[in-house]
Amino acid sequence: MNAPSLWGSALLLREGRAAAWRPWAWGALQLALSRGPVVQAAGKSSSLRLVQLSEAELREQFVRGDGPGGQATNKTSNCVVLKHVPSGIVVKCHQTRSVEKNRKIAREILQEKVDLFYKGEESDVFKEKKASEKKKQEKKRRAKENLERKKHFKEMLQSEEIK
Amino acid sequence: MRCLAPSLLRSFRGLVPQYVSAGPGRNPVLSLKQLPLRHSCSASPGLMTAPDVISYWQKVFEENGIPEARESSEYIVSFVLGAKTFQSLDSGKVHTPLTAAQQEQIQQLSCKRLERMPVQYVLGEWDFQDLTLKMRPPVFIPRPETEDLISLVVEEESRKCEGKKNSAFSVPPPVILEIGCGSGAIALSLLCKIPQSRVLAVDKEDAAVDLTKENVHRLQLQDRIHVLHHNVSYGSAQQLLPWGPMDFIVSNPPYVFHEDMASLDAEILRYEDLDALDGGDDGMRVIKTILTLAPSLLKDSGSVFLEVDPRHPDMVEDWLCAHPDLLLTLRAIHKDFCGKPRFLHIQKQSR
Repeated sequence: MNAPSLWGSALLLREGRAAAWRPWAWGALQLALSRGPVVQAAGKSSSLRLVQLSEAELREQFVRGDGPGGQATNKTSNCVVLKHVPSGIVVKCHQTRSVEKNRKIAREILQEKVDLFYKGEESDVFKEKKASEKKKQEKKRRAKENLERKKHFKEMLQSEEIK
Repeated sequence: MRCLAPSLLRSFRGLVPQYVSAGPGRNPVLSLKQLPLRHSCSASPGLMTAPDVISYWQKVFEENGIPEARESSEYIVSFVLGAKTFQSLDSGKVHTPLTAAQQEQIQQLSCKRLERMPVQYVLGEWDFQDLTLKMRPPVFIPRPETEDLISLVVEEESRKCEGKKNSAFSVPPPVILEIGCGSGAIALSLLCKIPQSRVLAVDKEDAAVDLTKENVHRLQLQDRIHVLHHNVSYGSAQQLLPWGPMDFIVSNPPYVFHEDMASLDAEILRYEDLDALDGGDDGMRVIKTILTLAPSLLKDSGSVFLEVDPRHPDMVEDWLCAHPDLLLTLRAIHKDFCGKPRFLHIQKQSR
């Protein structure tokens, strides 16, 4: 995982919007997201043993503009950009139309990426990916075998008819 | 309910650039790739994929000074293709050419956006936390900051439950009053996040009451919420008492300073109910009404949670000090996700 270039590309993602990007600021510590300083990501990553991220290590950025916010603004850009400072890994999440959900998902994705970054092949994320790839290949192989068997059977029938 | 007076609206329209009719020479980039706006539905439908169409409309919006050109385009195209955002669009769909019907629908929606209609009204729906809610002008569109208000109430409720766990008494499900329910975002989120809670949601506008009821029915929550047409500024607490006393009063009241109203974006001024925004000279008019009302409606140790302007926390603290008879204490000020002081937790002192 190359930290500096990822961060660099995140800045260029929206051309011409550099002025709207605010300097990295603390994300408000969401009690709903984490009990205490450790981020416990929900969803599938909770079944894996992953590196725990602490909010103190994260920097969050929202394209919400410099205005007063709240009622006075009706902007729909609720994309979340989340950076893990120690590793430099940046995640950009715009999966949903809810800022709160994007923040949660960004943390889940970031946690997986950070885990991969530090643990490499020892990471549960890596192992799970390998396992599912293997399963896929196995399925493909079996499907191919079935197809061959059917073909062979058909040929047999045809040759019997000729006889 | 207030919307811009017709005369003001006309002068607004005068300020809005006309649609791009990309004829030859008008905009070489546009005319090279695409047909003029009014003919776009007759363009060869097989050739345009989602990214093509998004880029097209982004340029059209930019040409016409529509803010958030890229985001608006992405939301509209994604919506027509059945996704919430472009990033969440099925990878298969990203490369599939759009049908003529889809392009037609995108054009119809984009024309509304060209009139500065907020995307949420264009699509007729928007998401608030885990809920998808119907949106309709002029009912106020929930803002992303308000999602955090829900978390605060939920936290306080679980804190109260923890405290009472070891007592001999069972904890009754909380009763929540929402003042100014709008589309029902806050009320319905609370119902979903606090099991067995009961909500009384009130709004002074029929349009808001109707929309909240529609969203209640869409989510099948009608047995736990009552939506009432009621104006807290002119009605009396008596009318709400049958549903009380309440554990929580929650509100995102109009809190914009009156002098700031004129500088709001066209999207807001043209389409949203200005009464849902204008809080009077100091933005405190409805805040004060709610706090004045709170003691007669709240249980002892009950809480008021308010979303406010970042300038209000100090003003509210001063005002509460000046009205000690209300027996309300400012417990906490919470920041929104942009780091601005945004939410007040006020508690009724127990006697």
